Amino acid sequence: MNGPEDILPEETGPEGTGAQPMRDDPMLAAEWALGLLEGEDLLAARGKYATDPQFAWRKEWWDNWFAPWTDDMAGAAEPGDHVWQGIAGRIAAQAGTEGGGLDAASGGDVIELKVRLRRWQWVAGLTSAAAAVALALLAFAPDNAPVTAPGAVPAQIAAADPMVATVPIGETGLRLDVTWIPASDKMLIAALGLSADGVHDHELWLVPQGGGDALSLGVVAPGEVRSMAVPQDIAAELHNGSRLVLTREPIGGKPEGIDAGPVVAEGAFTRV
Amino acid sequence: MAARPRPASAEAREALREAMERLAAGDQSALEDIYRMTRVKLFGITLRILGDRKEAEDALQDVYINLWQRADRYDPARASPISWLATFARNRAIDRLRTGKVRGGAVGIEEAAPLPDEAPLADALLVDAEQAAQIRECIAGLDERTQTHIRAAFFDGHTYAELAEQADVPLGTMKSWIRRGLQRLRACLEASEMA
Repeated sequence: MNGPEDILPEETGPEGTGAQPMRDDPMLAAEWALGLLEGEDLLAARGKYATDPQFAWRKEWWDNWFAPWTDDMAGAAEPGDHVWQGIAGRIAAQAGTEGGGLDAASGGDVIELKVRLRRWQWVAGLTSAAAAVALALLAFAPDNAPVTAPGAVPAQIAAADPMVATVPIGETGLRLDVTWIPASDKMLIAALGLSADGVHDHELWLVPQGGGDALSLGVVAPGEVRSMAVPQDIAAELHNGSRLVLTREPIGGKPEGIDAGPVVAEGAFTRV
Repeated sequence: MAARPRPASAEAREALREAMERLAAGDQSALEDIYRMTRVKLFGITLRILGDRKEAEDALQDVYINLWQRADRYDPARASPISWLATFARNRAIDRLRTGKVRGGAVGIEEAAPLPDEAPLADALLVDAEQAAQIRECIAGLDERTQTHIRAAFFDGHTYAELAEQADVPLGTMKSWIRRGLQRLRACLEASEMA
């Protein structure tokens, strides 16, 4: 049976030797599938593939028929471990993190974390920049166990799920994304919508569940995603549901001995 | 017709199909599973075409990164996952051969590292046996010379010009031989699709 793309030959070989078979599109597709083409012919075939569904169909028809031959090529060797490492690294890099440096074992964990972060973005509305930095923290932080002890990672992370808080700022539509990653003792504060007014800074506070003074998480850097190491006393106070408040302060944050400024926004942590 | 696939093979194909489906649904952890299941087979392909371990590994990386970026390109209605992946790997290797300075060709056996025991799936992941038998039968219907050149194009990634040079015939002659062979091959394969 002839394929639907059977059309009149559009070209004969330039080196015609009398009995030169026609080079119609199906022939070009066959030559390409076999890998014979180079230069102009190759470009022409690629162009047709992109624009002509019948040609594309025929190319794939040939690919499919030739595919069993690859069985005779396979199984001779094992690629080096660095190949997967490179794949995982490139993927992490393209996801917007600081790429490279993954070992083969942690590569899979990073991909798994990436999936989780994506889910998280949906659930918590986490900005993608913040998610990307969170991933980078998990994967690349020098004091982070996943890199040095890949085998221990999944259990560790499962035991210490990250928490996210979004802190909407009034009716502005602006907000802070705060991510706490117990496995890395790092907190991530994304203040992408904020801009500095030159007169004020904003300071973020954790409200201890048992009462007592709010614990400062520091001055927020407007328009940036920053990570901070979390001191032990603060880490001990971070729980599912922990409240955060944002206050307006003079430049540099709340001065010693003076009450904190007005609360302009608040939010609470949710485990994800 | 060839023997029915062994259960191990059916299992491996199903595992791969399932991983491809997860990847297409956006689950990127599926990529690692796909890599584990197919790396040996696909590396065999890129190594054969490129003839250089380093280049073949680079091509292999390309393949999986591309797969991750465009998992939606695979159409399950058109080809089995392994058939599609194998074709994809070979095409990427050929592309690299055509654009780079790599010299293709068969790989010496000393290049081939021994396979670890934990890579048994490469064996099980054969492209459809019935299809394999059919293309073999159709190829066998061509004259010896044409068979040799068509196979050399497929297995070693040679161009018309390279084949003509090796056979020491004019380029036009080589094109005629191969095109005639491809015409007959197509007729035979299409006849089998009708059967």
